[in-house]
Amino acid sequence: MASRWLELITVPFRAAWRAGLAWSIVLVMFIVATVAFWPAFEGSTAFNDALKVLPAQLLNAFGLQDFASPAGYLRGGLYDVLIPLMLAAAGALLANSATAAEEDAGRIELFLTQPISRVAFMTARAISTMLWLIVLMLVVLVSQVISDTVFDLHIGAGEIVATIILSGLIGVFCAALAIAIAGITARPGLVLGIPLAVALLGYLVSALFPVSDVLDQWKWISPWEWALGGDPLTNGGDLWRYAALIVPSLALIVIGVVAFNRRDVRAA
Amino acid sequence: MVLAAEPALHISGLVKSYGDVHAVRGIDLEVARGEVYGFLGPNGAGKSTTIRCVLDLLRPTAGTIEVLGLDPRRDGVAVRQRVAYLPGELRLPERMTGTQLVATIGRLRGGIDEHRRDELAERLQLDLGRRVRELSSGNRRKVALLLAFASDVELLVLDEPTSGLDPLMQQVFLQLVAEARAAGKTVFLSSHVLSEVQRAADRVAVLRAGKIVTVGTVEELRGRARQRVEIWFPGEPPTAELTALGGIDDARTDGRHFAAVLAGPVQPLIELLARHPVTSLLVEEPDLEEAFLDLFADEQ
Repeated sequence: MASRWLELITVPFRAAWRAGLAWSIVLVMFIVATVAFWPAFEGSTAFNDALKVLPAQLLNAFGLQDFASPAGYLRGGLYDVLIPLMLAAAGALLANSATAAEEDAGRIELFLTQPISRVAFMTARAISTMLWLIVLMLVVLVSQVISDTVFDLHIGAGEIVATIILSGLIGVFCAALAIAIAGITARPGLVLGIPLAVALLGYLVSALFPVSDVLDQWKWISPWEWALGGDPLTNGGDLWRYAALIVPSLALIVIGVVAFNRRDVRAA
Repeated sequence: MVLAAEPALHISGLVKSYGDVHAVRGIDLEVARGEVYGFLGPNGAGKSTTIRCVLDLLRPTAGTIEVLGLDPRRDGVAVRQRVAYLPGELRLPERMTGTQLVATIGRLRGGIDEHRRDELAERLQLDLGRRVRELSSGNRRKVALLLAFASDVELLVLDEPTSGLDPLMQQVFLQLVAEARAAGKTVFLSSHVLSEVQRAADRVAVLRAGKIVTVGTVEELRGRARQRVEIWFPGEPPTAELTALGGIDDARTDGRHFAAVLAGPVQPLIELLARHPVTSLLVEEPDLEEAFLDLFADEQ
C-alpha cells in the first residue's frame, strides 16, 4: 500500500520537474538581482527622500516606505508583491498541471483504472503539488540566505524564515483553491484563472483598502493580509497567520478530493 | 468455458445522460465467466460510455452494474484489481519510456511479471526503451495491449483494441485473446469493426444509439450481416441470375462490372459464379450501419 502511495505522489512530482526547475531559476534570479543592489541602498536616505513626494498611505500600500533598512528594502523589492505573487502563480500552475490539465488531456484515465481510489489519486496529486511548493520555499530561503551573506544584508533569521513561509502559504492557498476547483470541474481555464484572480485581487485588497478609511475595515478578507499583514520581516509571524492559511487550504483540498470522488471523469 | 456463480459482468437498465443528450438509453447485458464477448456498434453508439461506467469513470444516470459480483462504485479498488482496461482513446504519459510506464503501472497494481512483460514486448515487436512521445499511434496501442495482457486479472475490458495496428499485430492480438480465454479469463471486446469481433468473440451484442439492438452468437450475426459484393466478368454479367438469388439487394450493372449488397450466406452466390467465367471477385465488409441495415432501420 505504501509503495502505491509513493508511486501516486512521485509520478506527478517527477512530471513537474521542468516547471519546478524553471520556477526555481526565476526565483533565484530575482532574489540575487535584488539583494545585489542592497549595498547601494544601505543607509542611503536619497531614495526615501525622493519617494516622500508620494502620500505615506500609498508608500505603505506598495511597501515602499523604507528602502534604507534591510527589512524595508526586502519588503519593497521582493516580499511585498513579487515573491508571494510568484509562489501563488507557481502553486496554481503546478496544481492545474497535476489535475485538471492532465484530466483535460485524457491522461488520468490510465491511473484511475488501476486499483487505486479516486480519493488516493487526488490526495496524492495535492501532496505532490505541496511538495513542490515546499521545494520552492526552500529555494527562496537558501538563495535569500546566501545572497544576504554575500551582499552583507543583515536581517533576523526568524523574520526571514517567517516571511518566506507565509509567502509560500499564499502559494499553498492558491494551489489548494485550484485543487478544489479541479475536483469540481476539469476545466483548466477555471482551475488556473480563479486562484490567480484571487491572488491578484487579494494583493490589491491588502494594498489599497488601507488607503481608504471606509475600506480599511474590510482588508481582512484578503489572504494576502492574513499572511503578510503583520509585516513579518520586522515582526516575525504570528501563529494565527499560519493557521489562517493552512486551515482553509486543508479544507479546500478536502472539498476538491470529495468533489472529484463524486463526479464523472472527463474522457480524452 | 469456466462458469462461476456470478457472471463476469452484469449490466441492468444502464442509462447515462448528459442533460438532454442520452449517450446510453437502457442497456441490459450479461457476460459469463471465461467468455469473449463482443460489444459492437458504430462510433457514438455508446460503447465507450458503457465501458467507462463499468470502470467507474462515469457515474450512471440509472441502472446497476456488477463486475465479478462487485459494485464498481462501492468496491472500485477491488474491482479494478481484477480488471485490466485498454482505453479506446489512448493517452499515455508522453515523457515516460515504455519500461518506466510498465513499472509504474506494475507498482500501482502490486506487481507485474517481468518475464510476461518481456515476452509480450517481443511478440508485439515493441521497443520499451523508447519514450511514449517517440512512438507511433500503433506502437502506443501495443504498449497499452502489453499493460492489459501482462496484468494478472480475471476480466479484460478492451475498447477498440486493434485501432492503428497493422494486420500482423492484429493477428497477434487475436492469439492473445485466444490465450486469455484458454486461461479462463473473460474478455469484453468493444469494436466498430465487424470482422474483428467475428474473429475473436463467442457472443456479440450490437449497439446503436445507446441501445442494444441484438445479441447473438457470432454465427448468428454472420448470417445476418450484409456484405458488399463486386464482380468483374470477361463478358456481360449474368445480371438476371444474380438478382434472382436470395439476399441480393441494391444490384447495379455497369458494363462488365456487377455490384450488389448480399444479405445472408455467400454459398449460393459462389455456386452461381462457378458456372460462369469470372475475372475478379471482391466481397468486403461494409460499415456497421450498412451491414445491419435491418436492425438499424428497425431502431430508426
